[in-house]
Amino acid sequence: MTEDLLAAFSLGVFERRADGLFDAIGKLPAWLELPAKAVDLADTYPILGIFFAEWEEKWDGISDVWTEPAGDGSEMYLQATAASINRQRFLALKSLPEAMYTYQQLAHDFELEKEKVERLSKELEIKRQEAERATQAKSAFLATMSHEIRTPLNAIIGMADVLAGTTLTGEQRKCVDIFQRHGVNLLTLINDILDLSKVEAGKIELEVTELDLVDVVTRAMEVVEGRASAKGLYLKQAIAPGVPRYLMGDPNRLRQIIINLLGNSIKFTEKGGLEVSVTEDPEDRRAGRLRFRISDTGIGIPADKVDLLFKSFSQVDSSTTRKYGGTGLGLSISKQLVELMGGRIWVESRPGVGSQFYFTANFAVQADQSPREEATTVSTSTEAPETLLSGMRILLADDSEDNRCLIELYVRDAHLRVETAENGAIALRKFCEGHYDVVLMDVEMPEMDGSEATRQIRQFEKETGRSATPVLALTAHAFAEMAAKSMEAGFTGVLTKPIRKATLLEALVHYGGREGIVRAAATPAEPASRETNVVEVEDGMEDAVPGYIENRKAELALYQSALEHDDFDSAKKMAHKMKGTGAGYGMPRLTELGAAIEKASLDKQGGQLRDLVAQLAKYLDNIELKYSK
Amino acid sequence: MQKKKICLLGSYGVGKTSLVARFVHSMFADKYHTTVGVKIDKKVLTVDGEEITLMLWDMAGEEEGAPVKLNQVKDTSGYLLVADGTRAKTLDIARSIQERVQSEVGERPFLLLVNKADLKETWEVQLAAWEELSGLGWTVLETSARTGEHVEEAFVTLTSRMLQAQVASEEND
Repeated sequence: MTEDLLAAFSLGVFERRADGLFDAIGKLPAWLELPAKAVDLADTYPILGIFFAEWEEKWDGISDVWTEPAGDGSEMYLQATAASINRQRFLALKSLPEAMYTYQQLAHDFELEKEKVERLSKELEIKRQEAERATQAKSAFLATMSHEIRTPLNAIIGMADVLAGTTLTGEQRKCVDIFQRHGVNLLTLINDILDLSKVEAGKIELEVTELDLVDVVTRAMEVVEGRASAKGLYLKQAIAPGVPRYLMGDPNRLRQIIINLLGNSIKFTEKGGLEVSVTEDPEDRRAGRLRFRISDTGIGIPADKVDLLFKSFSQVDSSTTRKYGGTGLGLSISKQLVELMGGRIWVESRPGVGSQFYFTANFAVQADQSPREEATTVSTSTEAPETLLSGMRILLADDSEDNRCLIELYVRDAHLRVETAENGAIALRKFCEGHYDVVLMDVEMPEMDGSEATRQIRQFEKETGRSATPVLALTAHAFAEMAAKSMEAGFTGVLTKPIRKATLLEALVHYGGREGIVRAAATPAEPASRETNVVEVEDGMEDAVPGYIENRKAELALYQSALEHDDFDSAKKMAHKMKGTGAGYGMPRLTELGAAIEKASLDKQGGQLRDLVAQLAKYLDNIELKYSK
Repeated sequence: MQKKKICLLGSYGVGKTSLVARFVHSMFADKYHTTVGVKIDKKVLTVDGEEITLMLWDMAGEEEGAPVKLNQVKDTSGYLLVADGTRAKTLDIARSIQERVQSEVGERPFLLLVNKADLKETWEVQLAAWEELSGLGWTVLETSARTGEHVEEAFVTLTSRMLQAQVASEEND
């Protein structure tokens, strides 16, 4: 009965002998592979040695659990219980069910997994921070490099511009053209890299301002018009009816995307042309969700290369760079800008047929969609900026002699009065002592920098009650932060180096010109600034002379075109006719100019020809007809 | 033949069982299996020309509410503290166990094994901790039960120390 009971409970029960060995009571369960008599349990299970010593005094207690291998390769968990009856000492061994420890296993598994996940997220966070730091370092590096690159580039492009305005042989002009073209390409590249780095660093925030869709598309097309017409490509735009024209968004960035895509298409299109079309996004019918399509009839893109297109520094194949130019950054920038606008960009293309670049973007729609007055364009005057600037007084502060020299060369023909200063302190002194229409102020200068000088100029104006003089910052820093700092210092505007001649003159007209023009017109002290060419029209010639003058004016464009293409022959023919007719129409000056242009064309003197054509233009513009009756 | 007891102590999941499996059976299992109570294994080793039976007490990992059972450590000749290089807190646990063993059981030769050297690129345990422990006179070994790196060396070094300690205490007697 007792034996059956022990077997039923799966217990191994032993009696301890006087010699410390154990004899089994009844039949041992199968999991205990032990002999029945004289078993040294402390040797078989070393842990029991510890408990036998603890129990020696009073044979009573329960041991800790321990693990033993089971016959089938698994494990069993054993525990011993000691009990004594009278002077007999007994020991029971039992095997605990594995399920008792399942929870412990699960808890450990869970805890270890949790720790692993925590560790990985911590590592990810560290990597993210490292990446962020690297990006910031990159931005700082690029800002510095842009400064270092733009400064010499300023001198190179600027001097090329100056050189282009002088008398050059055909060969020399070709060289200067190459300087100019590559200088500008390099500048574009630097700007692209800076832009991309700013987008990647999360530094570009889109503006939300009033946006005229038609205006944005038109202006984008104007930018590439020259390149398209040079290749004989048509440019079309189609804004679908129902697309709201007046939106809220970032017009400059939207224009940049369209220009990038158009520029890319022009590069790869040899015949046919390009079309920009805007429709509502067919996949998102909410108001202000627009889809733009720039399609071309170019070489197209193989399907397997389409994915590469929008990645930085990747072009469809490396030979593309050599053949078509560019860095492939434009599309990458466009993609990032499109994503900032809540849209996506993609391309559908068939090699040999053409490509369609699509992008979507989200805008808020202005409530008022009634047509506005056309915005006045920046420059409506047909007069050359040089004429408008005549007599203007400029204070130029720059520590670099090269830069001072360059700017003086730029404005040489404009009859300005330029006072120079080598640092901010000198500039401030000269400003206080004199009167200037515009101050051009380099930002980084020794002794006193441009920001400080400008601050003090503003202070001086306040104290003396003078009205604010436009102070334009000259800086090689392209970053917007620099512009913001400049505004704090009291600058009126910023000109980023390298400064092109045209940009400088436009800025001078814009900021100081109005006053200058008024003065030139109203102050008799400076009458020489504008020439008047009085032409006495003979009797009977009243009907012919104005038409003759108009025809000569129309020829100016042909001269320009001839100049651009080194087409001296056409120029010579036109000039020859003028030489023969000018005096007859009462304008001996035209005969003189015709002779000179003919000679310059014959000698293929491009620079001289350019100057003469400019003189011709100026003469024609300032003719005042005087009728004898 | 001499019998010597070595306890493996440390947090759960640091690889105590795997170190024994590598040392005794030259095996490694990727799957984690928690040790219940204690698992005792043997290995005969010749150290310093002497053949010794090592009794390896692979004790359940310490965790909150279940500290190391010091009554089972009392008669040990030496011990291996095991930490997991990928979990910095297991090094703190190892140090805390060492303090308790030192004060409750007394001076015994021991080594610190920082295990999972095969995952070194993800280690959290810092070099500074190393230097501090070396300064305290600890011997620290980087081990990997997976590759076997420094595993045999750990057991042999500890055994050799235990034998030296034994000679020293016999000379003192």
